[in-house]
Amino acid sequence: MDDPARSPSAPNRIPGRRPWFLGLFVLALALGVFFSPLLGTVAVAPETVLRILLHQISAGALFPNPCAGTAVPPSGCTGLIEIVWDARLSEVMLAVLVGAGLGISGGTLQGVFRNPLADPFLLGISSGGTLGTALVVVLRIGVGEQNLLLPLFAFVGAIATSLVILAAARSRFGSVETLLLTGVALSSFLSAVLSLLLVYSPSGSLQVNFWLLGNLGSLDWTQDGIVFGAVLLAGTFLVSYGREVNLLQLGSDVAQSLGVDSRKVRVRLLLLASVATAAAVAFTGVIGFVGLVSPHVVRRVAGNDYRVVLPGSALVGAGFLLAARDVSLVAFPGTLLPIGIFTSFVGAPFFAYLLFRRRSASTMGAG
Amino acid sequence: MTDSQAFPLRLRSVTVRYGGRTALQDVDLEVPRGQFLALAGPNGSGKSTLLRAALGFLAPAHGSVELFGDDVRGLSFAERARRVAWVPQDENTRDDVPLGEYVLYGRYAHLSWLQGETPVDREAATRALAAVGLSHRATDGILSVSGGERQRAILARALVQDSPLLLLDEPTTHLDIGHQLDLLGRVRELSRERGVTVVAALHDLNLAARFADRIVVLFRGRRVADGPPTEVLSEELLARVWGVVADLRRDPRTGVPYLLPHHLLPPAASGPAPLLEKGPVHVVGGGGAGAAYLRALSEAGFRVTAGALHLLDSDLETAESLGAVTAVEVPFAPIGPEVRARLKALLGAARAIVVAPFPVGPSNLPNLEEVRSSLGHTPIFLVRRASGVEWDFTGGRASAIDEELRLGGARVVEGPADLLSALAGIFGTPIA
Repeated sequence: MDDPARSPSAPNRIPGRRPWFLGLFVLALALGVFFSPLLGTVAVAPETVLRILLHQISAGALFPNPCAGTAVPPSGCTGLIEIVWDARLSEVMLAVLVGAGLGISGGTLQGVFRNPLADPFLLGISSGGTLGTALVVVLRIGVGEQNLLLPLFAFVGAIATSLVILAAARSRFGSVETLLLTGVALSSFLSAVLSLLLVYSPSGSLQVNFWLLGNLGSLDWTQDGIVFGAVLLAGTFLVSYGREVNLLQLGSDVAQSLGVDSRKVRVRLLLLASVATAAAVAFTGVIGFVGLVSPHVVRRVAGNDYRVVLPGSALVGAGFLLAARDVSLVAFPGTLLPIGIFTSFVGAPFFAYLLFRRRSASTMGAG
Repeated sequence: MTDSQAFPLRLRSVTVRYGGRTALQDVDLEVPRGQFLALAGPNGSGKSTLLRAALGFLAPAHGSVELFGDDVRGLSFAERARRVAWVPQDENTRDDVPLGEYVLYGRYAHLSWLQGETPVDREAATRALAAVGLSHRATDGILSVSGGERQRAILARALVQDSPLLLLDEPTTHLDIGHQLDLLGRVRELSRERGVTVVAALHDLNLAARFADRIVVLFRGRRVADGPPTEVLSEELLARVWGVVADLRRDPRTGVPYLLPHHLLPPAASGPAPLLEKGPVHVVGGGGAGAAYLRALSEAGFRVTAGALHLLDSDLETAESLGAVTAVEVPFAPIGPEVRARLKALLGAARAIVVAPFPVGPSNLPNLEEVRSSLGHTPIFLVRRASGVEWDFTGGRASAIDEELRLGGARVVEGPADLLSALAGIFGTPIA
């Protein structure tokens, strides 16, 4: 290699790959997961929370009686364990998994569409999910609070929407621009259908609205398991396509000339991103800005290599949603604020800041 | 599988249509191994289309494109990438990545799924960057380097692809003249030393003539000329295909033809081609004697050529204003061998020769001598000279040739109108 000092115009920020950032992301996330259960709507002493966590993680080897030394009688300790482990930690894990799913979808879609504004909701995937939920509510399919049909329909609605877009991708007119516009048009159309449904069934609008705002309210580990499976499956494949996404940035034709079957790869990536998104939104509803912002954060700190951007987006997305949960609990103690409100509240100004910084930086560079 | 004897690139009567427009029409082309082929032709003539068809991006409406004996559309994208590398005209990269990584992208087709780049790949990238003179830029971002450096980086990426066939689409567009020579020189070296077959679309005919073994000219989707630069390039071709009047010279050191473009042919309703339907008629004149004939012929729809004339001669000005191809010598010098060869070519291409009543001296006597050698091949028309005006300043040699021409069958005409009616006998065209 040549002496870098010989290149007088070498920029300060090398746009290279900095994979070690992934390690930092993982570390930060692990710490976040461990300490986040300290926060919750019910007050539990921090030492007790940590003892319960260690007790559970070690399968009872450590702190055989986690509630010892507190005012809680041994008989009440089971209840505390339930609050900390089954309610709080499963909620924390749901935030992590949903954030990861949205983050990696966002990273993938921005790569596939070569568009920094692409995110999981742009393609109408959220609208499809919302419509699925609304159908269950309005048509009164199934009964009871533990209605698993709700997430199922949300999932099916989201996937069905992306299949329509994929059909467009397979046609010979499936250019990137066509796909993007198909998604935007489909999204508007589905929103209109949703509004129509709600007009005819005002009673369902509350439940649907709750879904639209996004929430992490978790009851047990079942949904964690389902989201975990889907996000892990889709995420693993997506990360393995990092190199192809890199090549797609050169344009469809150039990527093809280098050996990438651009159209096939694009369809696969869209399908996988849809699965991750659908799994994420099925239980929690519409949570904005995670998919949009996370990839930008990764790119800023770790470079543009999608082999880093994709896993990084998952990690940052997870961290972002977890942080949103924690901050909302600190800011509004004792309240279960719909998390979607909070992510948009924080995400929108942050995103504007990112864009502004990038614009001014590139203007200076060009001058 | 790959037949090592097969042509790296072979098009069999390929027709490509975009919607209703035919971009390539029945093009046959065989490119043997190690050849440097330049594709020439005006904008929209089908050069890029041919390259894109060769890459398998376009399905021909008719015919087939073969890479090393296999139909390109039947090969996987990775296999295509291992056989052919592409340097596109423009690349719209979105993300900034270091040049070193960017060049490594060229190794994609050689890596299996999930396999990381090996030190061998990285070394290939380093070598390719050095080969295009960009070693010092390896850590700079592709979006932060200049257009010329980006174009060279793209070439480096194509080099690490290690493909035996290299397609270049206007690779010199963003380069200064030094880097143009440098890049094409490297490409030619590659074809000479490693037997890489090169097909390059080039707008610059001088570069094409200098570097290519063979020039294929496309015009309106058809292959209209094909051969070594010395045989393919002609003034006639330039006028017909590009609508440009140019002098074709030869580099005295290398013998390579080069062009001095003068101006466009006067705009015709339907392009330059119809101008060729009548003619060409060559006018030998000088000192303003030929102007009236050049104008009359041009107005009657003939394509005219003229010369040899000296620079600054008023006949030359007239000829150029009419879009005539000319043979030109520097002022006051005798007509030299180079210009004489041009004159010979123009006379050979002419379907009729007109000798205007021009004064003849030693310096322009070769004009008459060359006309004499066309006797018996091409109809010659001698304009009658006004009596009592001295015109032979060669001590009788010009008069002797004049006499020879008359006796040899040259027809004497009285003026422009007489000339046109005489020509009507040859071309069968009604004269307005």
